[in-house]
Amino acid sequence: MSFNQILPFLSTAIMAVFTVYVLQRYFVRRAPHFLFWGIGLAMFGAGSFAEAYLAVAWNKWVFFTWYLFGAALNAGWIGHGTLALLTRRKWVHLVTGILVLGSLYAGYLMLQAMPGLDEEVFTASKLISEQYGTKVLEPGETPPAGAQITATTYRGEEVTVVRGILPLGTPVRLTTPFFNIYGLLTLVGGAIWSAYLFWRKRVLPNRVIGNVLIAAGALSIGFASTLTRLGYGQLLYLGELIAAVLMFAGFLTAAKPQPSEEPGPAKVVLAAEQ
Amino acid sequence: MNKVSQQDHRNVQRQKSHMPQNSMFFEKIVPVLLVGMGIITVALILFAAGVLLGIVHF
Repeated sequence: MSFNQILPFLSTAIMAVFTVYVLQRYFVRRAPHFLFWGIGLAMFGAGSFAEAYLAVAWNKWVFFTWYLFGAALNAGWIGHGTLALLTRRKWVHLVTGILVLGSLYAGYLMLQAMPGLDEEVFTASKLISEQYGTKVLEPGETPPAGAQITATTYRGEEVTVVRGILPLGTPVRLTTPFFNIYGLLTLVGGAIWSAYLFWRKRVLPNRVIGNVLIAAGALSIGFASTLTRLGYGQLLYLGELIAAVLMFAGFLTAAKPQPSEEPGPAKVVLAAEQ
Repeated sequence: MNKVSQQDHRNVQRQKSHMPQNSMFFEKIVPVLLVGMGIITVALILFAAGVLLGIVHF
């Protein structure tokens, strides 16, 4: 087992502790943003665990978990927690409904994709992020070492493809950008906005640092996912581990209780607390 | 608690709940980080939108 294949085990352990920590807060305070964060973090952890499992053996339902929760849904749900923290409840209810329906639809599309999985392509010697998708090989493009090449008809055209577990044009793959755009915008945007508010008011430096760490962690996984789309999937696991460490550190830093002697800043704390 | 120690206590609280003055980290590095991360976020969102619109192939 390579060093890269060990990374998801570490991410899983960190995300398990992080998820329990956040859900405990939900059960004490009953604030919905903790619940949404907890759900998203649990999905992130499930995705990491699936990666760890797929580094050892094949199981199509573990792959289902990896793609649906790890690649598609988790960013949207974590980001939705930040939206619930920063916006009015009316909007949160509306977007929660859309997110639930969207997640169910993505799950339905993933279920539909299951009979068509090209399981023969799977090898435990490669990372799952490097072999999950079938990719069209453009003329003149060199295939990656060890890739399985085949010719197929796609949208009426004869194309050469690098075989992957999910067939070419699988509809569920089109859902991931929606969740990831929403997650990136709300999680990173929300963290940057919160950090900026505290920075502008010159109060609670721990929340400035905590939100900067959360934004950096979320960007780390966003960046690694983008590289995976471009065919550099070997950096995904490192990006996930960095994201898990930075976001958990950011959350702990932002949540650290700080004394406040003035009523004004205290209101700000309640408005944008982590 | 006498007056002097109360004042000390307030000063400690203020230092913890307010940004340190003349801090290179908070004055220079934090704004650069926030702007830089904002730019990277926009770039990543544009990429994801490109995938959705079929401009970026995968």
